[in-house]
Amino acid sequence: MRAFVTVGSTKFDALVNSVFSEAVILSLSQRGYTKLVVQCGNSTFEFADFVANGESQVLEKEGVEVEYWKFKPSLQEEFDKADLVISHAGSGTILDVLRLPKPLIVVPNPTLLDNHQEELATSLGDLGHLKATTAVLCRDLAKTIETFDVSTIVPFPPFDGSKFARIVDEEMGFI
Amino acid sequence: MIATFTVVVFLLAAFRLYIILPLSRTLKPRTASHSISTRRLAIFLGSGGHTAEALALLSTLDFSRYTPRTYIISEGDILSSQKAVALEASRAISHPKSNNDNFTILIIPRARGVHQSILTTPPTALLSLLTCIYYVTVAPILYSNESNSDFADLLILNGPGTCFVLCLAVYINKFAGLRTPSLIYIESFARVKKLSLSGRLLRPLVDKFIVQWPQLLQDRGRGECHGLLV
Repeated sequence: MRAFVTVGSTKFDALVNSVFSEAVILSLSQRGYTKLVVQCGNSTFEFADFVANGESQVLEKEGVEVEYWKFKPSLQEEFDKADLVISHAGSGTILDVLRLPKPLIVVPNPTLLDNHQEELATSLGDLGHLKATTAVLCRDLAKTIETFDVSTIVPFPPFDGSKFARIVDEEMGFI
Repeated sequence: MIATFTVVVFLLAAFRLYIILPLSRTLKPRTASHSISTRRLAIFLGSGGHTAEALALLSTLDFSRYTPRTYIISEGDILSSQKAVALEASRAISHPKSNNDNFTILIIPRARGVHQSILTTPPTALLSLLTCIYYVTVAPILYSNESNSDFADLLILNGPGTCFVLCLAVYINKFAGLRTPSLIYIESFARVKKLSLSGRLLRPLVDKFIVQWPQLLQDRGRGECHGLLV
């Protein structure tokens, strides 16, 4: 099985350092993951120098093959291939992953000034569409991975374009 | 004498503002005659997540009804204009008979750059406002003898900052009694418990204020929620 981690267009040191920690790698290996792909962005972490010029690197840790790189123009292929996505709380990424659908663990970035990302993650978590956790303590993320029961995910509603079209048609006098 | 004059002007202006605010309105805004079968649509693409949501919403509309379309984009936001062109191109393929190529892209200066100092904001915001006024108010008057000269019948906004400036330009039209587009604001799906700054600013000003999470209307303020729209 394959897990994919994404930090978005900037950096998220706490998340990247967490996923490279022994606790998190072990929890993944325990759940049967043999491959981990990390989109690390401009985050600062132990192996950041190896990918500073846009390279893609691979290392082996606790029986898990870890591939990591900074950015790719589109993450769609990675989402498609993954059995689990661990992501920052960007609303675009959340929509993309939930609509596929793929199991999703969201880690809000506490260093962002506006905390509405956390609101969104927690609310969608409360509705059962995803798991929201923190990366400040590696233990939290590891525990979330260990206990995430994919069968309990509440399916996210599909895109229903008719609602907005009706609102606008009504406002503009077509209905 | 001057003081009395000032007070009278101020009172008249306040009364005019009261009349045009949607809160006090009982009549529908003046939009194009409903006998015609198309509406001119303008949409602001506020970059990043704003653009993604705006285009997802726009993609639900019947392009043969909502034509021509105007995409309003902040200066330097190349990604948003590429995405708008891509949406138009995909529509041209999937609906070859509808009104294709019927769109324009307007560029407006940013009201405030991402890391811009608070001191230099007023001049750039003013430049942004003047550009909006040109597109919304001045250009339609200058070219009033041409058909389709009005700015739009409908303006869709979903943040951030610069869309407030656009809304102000529309209010100048309202104030002067010129034809104005209906304003629809859709708060981002990412806003669950607290409205964004542009949401709070535009709430009393737009004709339709839509949120995607019902918690946002618990204050019993104006607005409607139809659940998730994107």
